[in-house]
Amino acid sequence: MNTSGTPAPLPWNICITIARRELSARFRGLRLLIICLFIGVAALSAIGSLTSAISGSIAARGRIILGGDLEIAVWQRGLTAPESQFLNSLGTVTSGTRMQAMAAANNLTLPVELKSVDGQWPLVGRLKLTDGRQVGAPSANQAWLAPAAAERLQVKQGHTITISGQALRVGGIIADEPDRLGEGFALGPTVITAADLPMRAGLISPGAMYRSKIRLTCASSCNPPAIAERIKSLFPTAGLTIRTSDKAVQNAENFISVMGEFLVMIALAALLVAGLGIGGGTTSYLEARRNGIATLKILGASGQDIARIYLLQITVAALVGSIAGLLAGALLLPLLLSLLAQTIGTLIPIDRSALVDPAALARAAGFGLLVALTFAAPPLAAAKNFPAMALMRARVTSLTAMPRVAYLPTALGGAALVGLALFTGPKPAFAAGFLAAAAAIFALLAGLGWAIRRMAARLPRPRHPIARLGLSNLHRPGGQTARLVTALGFGLSTFVLLAVVETSLEGNMQSRIPQRAPDYFIMGLAPDKLPTLTQIVTATAQGAVIRSVPAMRGAILAYGPADNMTHVADLDLTKIPEDAWALKGERGLTFSEQIPLGNALTDGTWWGANYTGTPLVSVDEKFAAAIDLKIGDRLTISLLGVERSATIASFRRIDWDSLGSNYVLVFSPNALSDAPYKLASTISLPASAKNATTKGAMMRAITAALPAISAIEVGGLLQQAHDLLGQMSMAILAAASVTVLAGMAVLIGAITAARAAKLYDNVILRVLGASRAQLLTLIMAEFAGLVLILALVALAIGSALGWLIMVHLFKFSFLPNWPWVLAVLGGGVTVILCFALLTSLPLLRAKPAAALREL
Amino acid sequence: MTSPPALAARDLTLTLGQSSSKTDAAVAVLRGISLTVAHGEIVALLGPSGSGKSSLMAVLTGLERATSGQLTVAGANFAAMDEDALAHARRGRIGIVLQAFHLLPTMTALENVMTALDIAGIGDAETRATAELTAVGLGHRLHHYPSQLSGGEQQRVAIARAIATRPALIFADEPTGNLDAATGQSIIDMLLARRAETGATLLIITHDSALAKRCSRIITLADGLIASDITSHSAAT
Repeated sequence: MNTSGTPAPLPWNICITIARRELSARFRGLRLLIICLFIGVAALSAIGSLTSAISGSIAARGRIILGGDLEIAVWQRGLTAPESQFLNSLGTVTSGTRMQAMAAANNLTLPVELKSVDGQWPLVGRLKLTDGRQVGAPSANQAWLAPAAAERLQVKQGHTITISGQALRVGGIIADEPDRLGEGFALGPTVITAADLPMRAGLISPGAMYRSKIRLTCASSCNPPAIAERIKSLFPTAGLTIRTSDKAVQNAENFISVMGEFLVMIALAALLVAGLGIGGGTTSYLEARRNGIATLKILGASGQDIARIYLLQITVAALVGSIAGLLAGALLLPLLLSLLAQTIGTLIPIDRSALVDPAALARAAGFGLLVALTFAAPPLAAAKNFPAMALMRARVTSLTAMPRVAYLPTALGGAALVGLALFTGPKPAFAAGFLAAAAAIFALLAGLGWAIRRMAARLPRPRHPIARLGLSNLHRPGGQTARLVTALGFGLSTFVLLAVVETSLEGNMQSRIPQRAPDYFIMGLAPDKLPTLTQIVTATAQGAVIRSVPAMRGAILAYGPADNMTHVADLDLTKIPEDAWALKGERGLTFSEQIPLGNALTDGTWWGANYTGTPLVSVDEKFAAAIDLKIGDRLTISLLGVERSATIASFRRIDWDSLGSNYVLVFSPNALSDAPYKLASTISLPASAKNATTKGAMMRAITAALPAISAIEVGGLLQQAHDLLGQMSMAILAAASVTVLAGMAVLIGAITAARAAKLYDNVILRVLGASRAQLLTLIMAEFAGLVLILALVALAIGSALGWLIMVHLFKFSFLPNWPWVLAVLGGGVTVILCFALLTSLPLLRAKPAAALREL
Repeated sequence: MTSPPALAARDLTLTLGQSSSKTDAAVAVLRGISLTVAHGEIVALLGPSGSGKSSLMAVLTGLERATSGQLTVAGANFAAMDEDALAHARRGRIGIVLQAFHLLPTMTALENVMTALDIAGIGDAETRATAELTAVGLGHRLHHYPSQLSGGEQQRVAIARAIATRPALIFADEPTGNLDAATGQSIIDMLLARRAETGATLLIITHDSALAKRCSRIITLADGLIASDITSHSAAT
């Protein structure tokens, strides 16, 4: 004993010696713990490394992706002389245009993204062609085609395509376009031409919907964000959109960051579920060593010594599981990178040779070890506190009850886990929300487990012995009900959530939108060509409906009462309300004599036909509310570099789901009609014309007669969105299946933990004459009762979370396909029951005589 | 001046099942045991099942804390100690042999004995453990696991483990209860022989009257109380 009267614990070296002697070289009894950690850590490290690899790739390649240090974009015009002069003074400049156009060849037409570049392009990197050449801009009558364009137009190098009547020789097929990712989302495959093609082809006429893009490289010591600020201050009303190389693909980066964190959180949830398995595994391990612990205590080991000895063993097993998980995560990374490169490589930069991120591995290992130690603390503390005689006396006295001494380490472990999640992730608020939701679900399920046990204990005893035993197994001492309810409840809820979200997205995409969406968007139609379009369309598809609105682009410069207007240039646009998005950059503008279709006036009055008074504007009610606009306020915009003002006459409610031509700002005709403009049209075909033959004939006729327009088929767009959502669903499903896998590991652990008690029951029942079929019924009755209750709870939890995600996060309608959701849930229940049956079969095969000798 | 006794108990009681649960009724297992054992004595503890023999041994060895009463073992005041202090007090001072052997199943015979020495803080554990196992006739079974040993061999390992630390007191709870008569006899012979070599005090629980007659003192328990306490004149040494 030491001077304070407290007995001195065994030295650590003695504890290590005893722990090593007792620990099986093959980790018998600790394999479940190792498997649970392996699953969780592997998922965390793979997802973490993947996210880091993509983020790192974005950061490292920002200059290449953007095509320079800065990009300045402006709609419907080129640079003015002062703008051009200033930019040229900063460094090397390349300029060109981007627009939608129709390419034709071999009697086929295709909407393409026309990228016209000057001789300086690309400022960073080189364009690689499939034949190995590294080139810059094509010559005047040549074009570089993206593989998809060549394939769909059925052309090869040397063939000819036409764009707006201009014949272009296919100079090569693009293998690697250096600034592809920086160009953003495109409505068609890319065709790169010389800078002067749009002008030669008549695509750049007043009012045409195109974008000028100017890239700039400056000296290595330059500061792109500072230059961007300087440009904004020099040309505050020019409507310029400026991007710098450090934020080359900001939207994609945000998406990766949020998606990555979301997947990390799902993997963390899986690890927490695995924590139940770890707790159960530790309990089973210590239960199996009950006599060993008693013996060590008889030999003089104190509770603290016992805790140290088994803590050492658990730590070694946790390290083995975590290291194996890290290795698996590292090995999975190239596979995942390759998979992502094939699926979403056109949207985000994927470097297939990226190495694992040590920080992500450290974070995964940290989570793994913390989860292991936190969940192992209660059984370790219980073993520490158990008196030696009690260990030897009562097998039914479980180690699972949490003693007071376990409160502190468990709470500290939990706090460390939360801290690690909050302070090492890119989105602390998101992580906090997710953890709070996960904690609430865990608490709910833990409460349910308690309630089931209490209810089972209070229910009247059934007369049938099998039913009676099945019921008592739900609340017997050392029973696994609480653990099973939490683990399986979490797994089944995940199943339901995924099914609800996926089918709701599908429901929004496939059931609702296509019924109301037009078949084609036509862009760049000159107002005087509308009769030609109408004639072609109605000739090939009688009954087709064409709707056209003037389409322009402009930026809001100022708004508010005439004597106290708010200037957008003075605002921090990163802190404006979500519904005020129209303040950012240039937005679509239109004018109309009538209230647009699908819109409803909510306040103010609409101008009549042939209105000639003060220029007026009607504003989206949500946007108006977000920036506190009132009827009678003034709004100033920049259109083609010219300032125009209008008085707010009304607010409108817009049905964005209609996929029609919807605009936040609709002006009275006299406010804008003197500016050059093109029409944006939609074509809705009758059912009889919705076939490939009619559509093909119609599009060929339109392209031939109106070469300058661009036609986009809505079905293709929806398919693109559908594919993207499908890939997101797959990523979520893959991460979530780890949760289900962890749940299965817990199930095995729970069945193993209850094995001794169940074997005893089975043997006694066999001695009393029960058949194997009756024993099987008992096992299945116990699990089926539990799983059916859990299925109902999971249906409620998963549906509620799905509703939250669909309605409040995605702002979509809640449209789950209930039969499919129930089928998925039924599948989950069946898998669990089959699993329970398979893992329980060895109990049925036990020979009573042999088992009795061992018990 | 007379030396203090190996153990001295006064009015020991033990009540189990003092739970608040309605289903657990409190059971008075020991109802006031007073007992003094001198150094070197060999005491047989007899009594019918349920008389409190094993519970008394659990209390005397510090595996269970008495509900009330005074207890001094090997000079230590057990009544004032908590679980951990009792465990510490057992180290190297008390050897225990149980009916069900209670060897550590994941350790070899040698490691089982070494572990007792390690916990007691006695150095050169491997050499001492080897010597002890050789002394009980298991020199050829050092690296065998308990599952690879017969019942008699397992009990010899348990005896070697109990004696290896040279404790002042050895407690044996029906050490031959799980063995056949011949094996049991050889185990008892060996236990008494090893005790004689160390001079330890031995307290042995048994149903075997022949074994009891080989002890220097026979205490009989009935219903949680000492029914008789007889000093034998034909005790073996």
